[in-house]
This record gives sequence, structure tokens and C-alpha cells, in this order.
Amino acid sequence: MKHRTLALLLGLLLVLAACGDDGGEETTTTVTTAPPTTTGGTVRIGWGGAPADLNPGIGVLIEDYTLYELVYNTPISLDLDGNYVPELATDWYVSDDDLVWTMKLAEGVTFHDGTPLTSEDVKFTLELYRDTEDFVFMPSYFDGDEVIEAPDPTTVTITKEVPTGSFEGRMVFMYILPKHIWENEDPATFDNAAMIGSGSFKLTEYRQGEYLRLAANKDYWGGAPIVDEVIFQTFENADARVQALINGDVDMVTEFPATAIPTLEANPNITVATGEPLAPDLTDIIFNVTEPEDCPADDGICTGHPALRDLQVRRALAQAVDKQQLITTLLLGLGTPGRAIVPTGLGVWFNDALEDYAFDLNEANRLLDEAGYLDTDDNGIRECPAAMDCGDRPELRFRLNYPEDSDTAPRLAQTLADWWQQIGVDLQIQVLDSDTLTSVCCPSFDYDVIIWGWGSDPDPGFLLSVLTCEEIPTGTNESGYCNPEYDALYAAQQAETDLDTRVAMVHEMQQILMDDLPYIIPFCALSSQAYRNDRFVGWRDDATKLALEDPTSLDVIRPAG
Amino acid sequence: MRGRGLRAPPPISLMTRGSLFLRKIIWALITIFVVITFNFFLFRVLPGDPAKAGVKDPRLSPQAVAALQQRFGLDKPVLFNTQGGNLFDSQYFRYLGALAQGDLGTSYAYKSRPVTSMLGRALVNTLWLVLPAQILAIVLGVLLGLVAAWRRGTKLDVSALIFALFTWALPTFFLGILLLFVGSRYLGLPTGGRITIGADYASFWATAGDVLRHLLLPTLTFALVLLGEYMLIMRSSVVEVFSEDYILTAKAKGLTTFQIIRRHAFRNAMLPIVTLIALNLGFTVSGAIQVETVFSWPGLGKLTVDAVAQRDYPLLQGAFLMLAVSVVVANLVAELVYLRLDPRVTEV
Repeated sequence: MKHRTLALLLGLLLVLAACGDDGGEETTTTVTTAPPTTTGGTVRIGWGGAPADLNPGIGVLIEDYTLYELVYNTPISLDLDGNYVPELATDWYVSDDDLVWTMKLAEGVTFHDGTPLTSEDVKFTLELYRDTEDFVFMPSYFDGDEVIEAPDPTTVTITKEVPTGSFEGRMVFMYILPKHIWENEDPATFDNAAMIGSGSFKLTEYRQGEYLRLAANKDYWGGAPIVDEVIFQTFENADARVQALINGDVDMVTEFPATAIPTLEANPNITVATGEPLAPDLTDIIFNVTEPEDCPADDGICTGHPALRDLQVRRALAQAVDKQQLITTLLLGLGTPGRAIVPTGLGVWFNDALEDYAFDLNEANRLLDEAGYLDTDDNGIRECPAAMDCGDRPELRFRLNYPEDSDTAPRLAQTLADWWQQIGVDLQIQVLDSDTLTSVCCPSFDYDVIIWGWGSDPDPGFLLSVLTCEEIPTGTNESGYCNPEYDALYAAQQAETDLDTRVAMVHEMQQILMDDLPYIIPFCALSSQAYRNDRFVGWRDDATKLALEDPTSLDVIRPAG
Repeated sequence: MRGRGLRAPPPISLMTRGSLFLRKIIWALITIFVVITFNFFLFRVLPGDPAKAGVKDPRLSPQAVAALQQRFGLDKPVLFNTQGGNLFDSQYFRYLGALAQGDLGTSYAYKSRPVTSMLGRALVNTLWLVLPAQILAIVLGVLLGLVAAWRRGTKLDVSALIFALFTWALPTFFLGILLLFVGSRYLGLPTGGRITIGADYASFWATAGDVLRHLLLPTLTFALVLLGEYMLIMRSSVVEVFSEDYILTAKAKGLTTFQIIRRHAFRNAMLPIVTLIALNLGFTVSGAIQVETVFSWPGLGKLTVDAVAQRDYPLLQGAFLMLAVSVVVANLVAELVYLRLDPRVTEV
């Protein structure tokens, strides 16, 4: 099972990393434009995990959020091409002073129990998410300065003291809850078994770890789904999941091993689709660049190799990484080369103009020679220049750690070791369980190089905050990177409400990271899913992002024939 | 012929038996208590903050961490509360107190769920899978072992031996995937799960039939895996008994082979099997981890695997406790059954 945006989100990476070799071949269904001739039917979906919490405040798994998307509405939604589109809010705008956001809500929206959804519910929900300390992610989408008001039943205003540039990005996770139910409960412990929402599907049965049944909300204000029912069934074993699709026990599988792609593609009744994951993520090679003066006073041990604080060394290491080769061998082609900390799947926020470091071992060797790291004792490993104080570690011999629950990291580490050995850098690879890895990582900075991963929100704000100086003592900044210029840009873009200006700032921040190299981002994994094209048609597999379990598909698919 | 002066051993008095019984139970209780304590501390010496274990996100604010810690009682001292107030207001004694009331705490990963009810439901599912498999394996294994020993050295014996060694050595998940593939593709059996979700069956029998269809492959897999051990132990045990003098005597008396097996060999040869059965049943509650995972069977094994993956310490603690208790109880039962079966086991 996987955490949604979890820092240490290798679980997700594993599954995605294990996908496919067709290098982004796009397969599309024959979507006819004629009105549906058949309706109804039960869609069966096989997946590897299962939701753990029906309460949107405390859910952390990807599967939890899949369920919330189906059962609840959010004011604003993110479409599969990465654009913010209206959902409950038909329109939204910010005042001229950038402080007051106004949302106009759709009319005639009702909860599953027939109660109308009004601005009071929105106000109640937003305040609940902001103020419930036990909630896991929700409070992080607020600054605490919001005054939320509901002047009339279809208008919500949010007045802030400090402008925010990520208003839309925050609203896409605000699952609006019915005030008349939640106001009587303790939100931190409420199990929300009835799960009354306003979305296009209603939860009818929930068996922990086994299955979910959802009935179409035939009175859905936004247009009822064509199918009658959706069932999510958990198949923990990936081969069993693939077999279930082949046998027709399920109509779609949300994830499967890449090795199954040839088998699935050979089956005429099965369509395999590839795209960016709904929650983009990246794998990162983290350098410990903590300067002694930045070492956290309380928790810092800061034993990073001094040579890693030399940009010239990091540049040489970056030139000794062949990202395309890694994608081919580790992800069987299902990935895109990463650049700075913003994942490739993040739409406009990703700066695709960044120039990457070319794979060139000779150039890497030249850079190290030039910087004075020479192999003086002829043992194949370079030494620090005489003028540099490398303490009792004169050689370029780095510790490399990665979490035990990662599929790709072992081979990635080995491949890096082979490449870097050719430029006179020795790696001592040690695998650690994720708790131990956290304890050597940050804020203790008791490591040299770590392979880890990040998942991302639709808004780049959080990931960009990772590398600010402020996050060094908190342990969120894993590399110890601190650059005032970067921090200033970070603060500015957080408060920028004009999209284009903010995008430009975010792009500039990526350029800084690309130049300074606290991380090497080898790749961002793509995801692949497969469905039976003889059962239901109309799956949305043609967008940038792929999420067939999302309402964007389940609302519109219809029985085949 | 009974010699003079040779006295038969005195019959074990009820008192001796009773105190032996009592002593064994007390030892079992002590073992369980030690396991409870060990279990409790085991999860607290592991690296990492258990409060954060369920939620590994750096955006978790310090307030949220504090709230979680308070909810799970992790803000209390571990062993003794020396910061004033009640000395026993600590995590350990709170755990013991809750345990005494049958409360195993709340799962970290499934935050609004009591561990007791999660384990209870999974246990029922596991028993549905494991008990039929055990019974099948015991009956077939014992019969096969008996026949193999009886026909020792024949082709039948050799085939049975090879079969038993093969199934015993076969990795469970591999056998499971093979059976899943064959069964679901060629016999139309389901690929996993406990029931056909959303199917509306007219009668109880139709529902039962559906569950049986789902049970067939996992049960068969588990039975095949267990069978080999029973068969091998039974075979060697019977072979040993066959070499005893009283079997020769029985043969000399002119009893048929069937009579010899039924009256003399079977009961004596069953002793090691009883031990094996008791021990295996003890481990029943650990579930058939691999079988459950391959066939998505929502039993204890799958629950434990999920708990490990999510570092759900209260759930793991509960699962470990249940496993420990059942192993101790199974051992106790084995000893008590031995007391009845084998008169040689009288004193400890």
C-alpha cells in the first residue's frame, strides 16, 4: 500500500517503476461520438491496495483518495491535462489586492441523503480542515490567516492576510463534507462509515482490505454516471491481478508489473494505456551538501564528505549518470528523465527548457582533474586536493544509502557505482530500512548520498519548499542545501497570484537547482493501466495523466456493444 | 507371567495428575505473560517514532504529531511514571490494563478501528481456509504414509515419497500461482477473494457454493503444502513400529495385515503425528501468509503482512500475541493428549 504524497514514497515508485517497455506507445479506444445505446452494468476494478480510512481528514493512502474523489466534490478540480477546472465552484476570482478569494458555487447540488449542499457546508468543511490538528494533510493547505465567510448560499469568500499563489492547488483536495453530519462528531476519530458526500458515486459496502462497492448517484447534480455500479477488489498479488483481467473477473486493473505488458497487449480484448501518474513523483539522488554553519544545533551530526560540498564534484557526478539508460533498464522504458525537483508530470510548472548534463565520463574525469581531485596513490580512487581539509576521509569514497522497500534503488545504486567508479569515485552501498534511513538522513545529515523519492501535489509549492534553508532543521530538506536567492524566490512565488508570473519564478528556481545540483533526479516514473475493451468503452486514456479509476473515466464509460 | 515381588507401577493418583495439569497451565500462563511483555518492548526498541509510523509525511505538523501521540497514549512514559502522579500511569501498565479487558488498542494505519475486531474477523476467515486444509492434509497424509510404509519399497511407496518430497519442497507461492493459473483459466474458478462481490444469490446454498468455489484453490494449495510433512512422518513412524517385536508376535498369531495395522501399528505410529498436528494447529492463527497473499484471502496472514508493511505496531502486537497464545495452548494440549495416549509420560 502506498501513501499519497509521502515523502518517503518509495512504495508508489515501486509499483510505477515496475511498468512496461513500450516507451509511451499510446493506445486509444474507439470512442464513438454517438449517444450511448446501452447503459447500466457493473464495472469491476482490480487493484493492489485498499482504502484504510473513510474519513478524508486522516486518510494517507492513494486508495483513500481514489475513494474520496468518487464520493465527494471539491470546489475546484484538476483535469487530466493538468488544468484547474470548475467542480462545485462554477467561478472563482481574487480581489485586486490579491487577498480576497470569492467562489461561486453551482446551484442545485445535494448530498447523497438529499440535503442541499450550500456555502455553509463549504465554510464548515474548510474551517474543519484548517483547525483539526489531528488531520494529516489538510491543515497544511491553509496558512491559518483565512477568514472564511458564506454571505449567501452559493458564495464563499476567503479573506487572507498574506496572498497565496496556490489557491486552486489547495482547493482540489477540499472534499466538501455535510455540515449537518460532521458538526455532531469528533472529526479526528469519526469513522464516517456512511460516507455521505455529493459526488457521482455513493459508497454502498466497504470491506476492509477486501473490496468496495459504489453505486452510481443517479441524482448526481453534474450528470449521473452511465454505469450502475463500481466494485474495487483487492488483489494483493500482482500476477493474480493480471490473471483476473485476462480471465475477465475484472474489467480494469490500476497497476501491474511491467513484465505483464507483452502478454496483455497480445490479448485483443485488452487495452494497455500509459501516461503520467495522477500524483506525479520522482526518484532523487540526494547529496549531503550541509555546510558546517547550517548544521542543525539540536539533531545535526553532519558527517557528509566535504568533497560533496564542491559543486565541481557534483557536476562531475551528474555527468556520469546516463538517465536514459536507467529508464530503459530499470523502468523498461516507462519513465521520463527528471531535471530539478519539479516532476515532469506537473504540467506548466515543469521547466522543460532546462538543459540537462550530458552523459560524458571523459568530461566528468576532466572536471575532477581540473578541480584537483587526483588519484595520487594510484588505487583507482581519487583523493581530495592537498589544500582541502577532508579530515580522515581523504579519498572520494562515499556512503550510498537507500530504503529497503525500493524496487529500483538496488539496481540504480549498482549502476551508479559502476559509472562513478570509472571517474575514480568509490561507493559503499548500504541498504537501510526507512526509519533508519530517516535517522541518518535528516536533520542529522549523517550520510553522503541517498537514493529516495518524493510524491507531488498538483501545486509545486511543497516540493519547492523542501530545499529552503528553513527546512534544514525540520528534516524536510534532506540535502542541507541553503541558498538565499532560492529562498527569496520561493517566498515570492508563494504569494504570487498571477499564474504566468508565478510559473516564471518556479522555472527560475528549477534553473537554480539545476545549476547547484543538491539532487540528481534520474527519472520520473510513468504509470500504466489496462482494461477490457469488450466490456466497457469510453475510458479516458488519451490525456496526459492516466487514472482510469478516477471519476473522469468512471462517470463516462458505458457497456460495450 | 507376573513374578513375585515385582509390583506393578502404582496407578497415577488423581492428585498427581491434577497437580501436573495445574503446573502445566501455570507454566503456560507465565509463558504468555513473558511474551506479552516481550512483545510490548520489542516494538518500542525498534528505530523510529511509532506515532509517525503510520504517517510518513514531513508536512505533518508538530501539533499533529503531538495529537497522534496523545491519542495512542505515546506521550506517557514507557515503563513507570516517575514524573509524579500515578506510578503505573505508563504505556506498559495501560497496555496491560487494556489487555485485561480484551482491548488490544487501536490500529495506527486504520485509525478508527479497534485491533480486536480486525483480528477477530481475519481469524474467522483464516479458520475457514486453514482448518479444511489441515484436515485434508492430515487425512490424506496419514493414509498415504500408512500405505507407503505398508507397501515399503514398492513403486507405490517410491511414487508417494517423491510426491510428498516434491510438494513439501515446492515454494508455496509458486504452487499457489500455478494452481491459480490452471484453476482460473481452465476450470473457471475465481482468481481471488472470498466471494463474488455484488452477486445476488437466491439462497444460502448458492452463496455457500460461491464461497466454496473461492475456497477451493487456496485450500488445495495449503493442503498440498502441508501434506508432505504428515506423510513423511507417518511413513517413517509406521516403518519403525513395523520393526517392533509385538508386530512380529501379532504376525505369528496369524493376524491379517489389516488387523495388525488397525490394532497395533496405527495407534502407536500416531504419537509423532499428534505432536505435529498440535504444533501445526498452534501456528494456524499465523495464517497461511503466502496462500492468503496469492489468493487475496482476507485472513490473518494477509493482515499481518499489511501490518508489517505499514508499521502498524498495535495490530502487529495483537497478531503476535494471538500467535503466541495459540502456540502455547497447542503445546499444552499436545502434552495433555500425550498423557492420555502414552502411559510412559507420567512424571515430568
